[in-house]
Amino acid sequence: MKELPASVLPPLLVGVPMLLGMVSLFFKIKRRPIPGIIGSVLIGVLAFAAVVETSRHGTVIHVPGGWVPPLGIVLRMDPLSVVFISLTALIGIFIGLYSQMYFRTEEGAKVRFPLFWPLWFFLWAGLNGLFLSNDIFNLYVTIEVITICAVGLAVLSGEAKALKAGLRYLLAAIVGSMCYLLGVALIYGSTGTLDMALLGQVLEPGPTASFALIVITLGLLIKKAAFPFHFWLPPAHSAASAPVSAILSALVVKGGFYVMLRLWTEVFGVSLTFAAGQLIGVAGAAAVIWGSWQALLQTNLKLLVAHSSVAQLGYLLMIFPLLVLKPGFSTDSADWLPAAWTAGIFQVMAHAFAKSSMFLSAGIVVAALGHDRIASLRDLVAKMPMTALAIGIAGVSLIGLPPSGGFMAKWMLLKGVFLSGQWWWAPAILIGSLLTAGYIFMLLRLAFAPAREENRFRPVPIMLQVCALLLALGSFLIAIPAEKLVVFLENGESFGRGIETVIKGGNHGNE
Amino acid sequence: MELLTDGLLALLTAYLAFRCMLAPKLSKTVFTFFAFGLILALMWIRLGAVDVAIAEAAIASGFMGVLLLDSLRDFSPSYSEFEDNIEQPPNQVAFAKRSLSQWVPAIASGAGLLLFLFIALQAVREVPAGGGLAAFAEAKLPESGAEHPVTAVLLNFRAYDTLLEVAVILMGLLAIFAAGGIRQFRKPSLPPAKDPVLRKAILIFTPLLFLFGAFLLYIGKSGPGGAFQAAVLWGAIGILLHLGGWRIFNALSRRMRRIIIIAGPLFFLLTGFALMARSGTFLAYPPAFAGFLILIIETLAAVSIAAALTAIYAFLTD
Repeated sequence: MKELPASVLPPLLVGVPMLLGMVSLFFKIKRRPIPGIIGSVLIGVLAFAAVVETSRHGTVIHVPGGWVPPLGIVLRMDPLSVVFISLTALIGIFIGLYSQMYFRTEEGAKVRFPLFWPLWFFLWAGLNGLFLSNDIFNLYVTIEVITICAVGLAVLSGEAKALKAGLRYLLAAIVGSMCYLLGVALIYGSTGTLDMALLGQVLEPGPTASFALIVITLGLLIKKAAFPFHFWLPPAHSAASAPVSAILSALVVKGGFYVMLRLWTEVFGVSLTFAAGQLIGVAGAAAVIWGSWQALLQTNLKLLVAHSSVAQLGYLLMIFPLLVLKPGFSTDSADWLPAAWTAGIFQVMAHAFAKSSMFLSAGIVVAALGHDRIASLRDLVAKMPMTALAIGIAGVSLIGLPPSGGFMAKWMLLKGVFLSGQWWWAPAILIGSLLTAGYIFMLLRLAFAPAREENRFRPVPIMLQVCALLLALGSFLIAIPAEKLVVFLENGESFGRGIETVIKGGNHGNE
Repeated sequence: MELLTDGLLALLTAYLAFRCMLAPKLSKTVFTFFAFGLILALMWIRLGAVDVAIAEAAIASGFMGVLLLDSLRDFSPSYSEFEDNIEQPPNQVAFAKRSLSQWVPAIASGAGLLLFLFIALQAVREVPAGGGLAAFAEAKLPESGAEHPVTAVLLNFRAYDTLLEVAVILMGLLAIFAAGGIRQFRKPSLPPAKDPVLRKAILIFTPLLFLFGAFLLYIGKSGPGGAFQAAVLWGAIGILLHLGGWRIFNALSRRMRRIIIIAGPLFFLLTGFALMARSGTFLAYPPAFAGFLILIIETLAAVSIAAALTAIYAFLTD
C-alpha cells in the first residue's frame, strides 16, 4: 500500500459529533440548542479544515491504534469523502438553526424535541464515519449507527403514523443490513481481509465474489430506497417532523449511494459485468418515472416531496451503467467518465440542498396552517412570499432548469449518456424532468392563485423562512464553482475511475 | 457422532424457526423463540465461537425474550379486547380461504427463496477453510494487552469499531425513548411481584449474577467472555430487582442515571482522544498500559450497557 500522509482530522470528524451527542444529553432540555448550534458550527469548522487539508495533501489517512490492515482499520479522507462531509456539515448547520426555531412553534412543540439534538449528533458521527471508512465491516457498523439514529429521529414526531412508518423503515433497513453483512462475511471468508484497498487487489472473480456483490448491492439498494424497494421511504420521510425529513431525505439516503459507488468502483470491479450496470440503470430509470408520477398524484405536500426523493435518487443510480465499461474500453479511452462522475456528485449536492429546502418549506407551511394539504397552498405568495420563493427556486433545481445545480447534474448525465452511446437512458431523464416540472408548477400555480376562502396563516418566525430560502439558493450557488470542484475531486483516486470489466473479470465462466 | 449432533442441531434450528413463525398463539411464538435462541447458541459453540454463543444466549435469547414477554402483556385479556382473535389460530384460517391464484405468488417467492438459498450455499461452499486473520491476530497478541484473540481484536486491533458498537447501545436506548413517547401506545405499568418466594429468590440470585458477571468480565482477558456478556448478566440483576419491586434504577437521580449510562462510551472516546493528543494516533494504547486500559474500558462499558438494558426495561414497564 502506498504511503499516504496521516492526519488527525478523520477521528475528530467522527469523535467530535459523538462527544457532542453525549454532552448534549447533560444539558437541560431548554438549553440543548446551545450545545447544538455551537457544536454544529464546530463540526463545520472541522469539515472546512478537512477541505483545506485534502486540497493541500490529496488523500490523507488515519490508522486508529496504529494497526495497519489487514489487522486494523484505516480511515481514509479523500476529496470525494470530503465533498460529502462538507455537504453534510453545511446542510446540517442550516437544519440545526431551523430546528431550534421550529420546535418553538405551536406545531413543532408536539415533537419530542429533547432527543433531537443527541440523535442528530450521533447520526452525524455515523455519516462522517461512513464517508471516511475504508473497511467493509466498519462500513457495516456505521450503517447500523445511521439506521438506528435515523429511525429514532423519524419517530420523534410522536404521531401514530410516524411510528408505523418508522417500524416499516426499521424492518426494511434491517433486512438491508443483513444482506450487506452476509456479503461481508463471504468476502472476509474468501479473502481474509476487510480493507477496501487490499480487497481491490486480492478479490478474485468467482461464484463467491459474485454472490457477495449481489447481496451487498441488494442490501444497499434497500437502504437507499431504490425502485422496487422504495416502499418504506415516502411514509417514513413524510411522517417525520420537518427538520428530520430534511435530514433523512437530503443526507441519510445518500449514504447508501456513497457506499455503493465506493464498493463498485474500488472493490467489485472483477465481478461486475456490463449487464449488472444496465440492471441498476433500469432500476434507476424506473424510480425516476414512477417516483415523479406518484409525486404528481399526491394531495399532501410532504408526501409529494418524499415521492420526489424516490425519483431524484433514481437519477443517482443511472450513473452506474455509465461507469461500468463495455468490453474493449478502458478508463482512458472512455471519455464520458468525468461527465458521469460530475453528474453523480452534482445530483447528490443539488438534491441535498433542494430537497432539504423543500422539506423545511413544507414544515413552514405545516407550522402556518396546521396541515400540509396542497389545496390550501392558495395565496401562499401573498402570505409568505419568502417560502413561496424557496419552493420555486428549489423546484427549479429539482426539474433541472439552468442555471441550477440540478441542471448541471442532468446536463452532465445526458452528456455522459450520449458520449457513451447508451442513448436509451435519455428518454427516462427527459420524462422525469417533465413530470417533475408538472408537480412543481402545480405547486406554484396554486401558490399564485387567489384564495377561495380565507386561509388562516399563523405567523411563522422569519428565521425559518430564511433558512429554507438560503438552502434553496444553495442549490443554485453550487453550480458557480463547478470547475473548481471538479479539479478538487480529480485530486482523489476514485473520481473519474471506470469499472473495467473485461480486463480483470471478463472470462469468469471458464473455470 | 459429530455429524449426528450437527445434523440434529441444524434440523432443530430450522424446525424451531418454522414453529416460531407458524405458532397459532403469540405466547407460543415467544416461548419457541427462547428455545430457538438457545439452539442457535449451541450452534455457535459447535462452530467454535464461544464468545458469540454467550452473547447469543444472553442478549438475543434472554434479553430479547424478556422484552417480548413484556410486549405479550399488550395482548393479555385484562388489557386488550382482541382476545378472541388471538385464541383462534389465524394462520390456518388464512390458509383455508386462499384460492389457487393466490398461491401462485407464494409458490413463486418460495421457489425464489429456495434458489437464493441454493446459490448462497454454493457461494459458502467455495469459501476456503481457515481463511481470515486469526494468524495475524495471534502474532500481534503480545503487544495487545489481552491474551484472548477475540478480546484483542475487539478492544485493540479494531477498537474503533467497538467504540461505535458501544455507542450504538446508547443510541438504541435513545431511539426507544423516542418511539416510546407516544401516549396512545403506553400500557399500564407492571405491578411489582407480591410473591414472597419470588422476591426471596431474586435476592438470592442478585449476588450470584453479579459475581458471575464480574467473572465473565475478568476472564474476557484470557478466554471467552467480556464486556457485552458481563453487561447482560448485570442488566439481568437490574431487571430482576425491578420485577421484585425494588426499583433501584428509578431511585437514582436523572443526572446520575445519565452519567452511568454514558460513562462507558464517553470514557472510551475520551481515552481515544487523550491517546491521540499523546501520540498522534487515535486509540493507540501504549503496550505497557494496554491491559490496564482495556480492563477499565471494558468495566465501564459493561456498567453502562447493563444500565442501558435496565433503563430500557424500566422505561417499557413503568
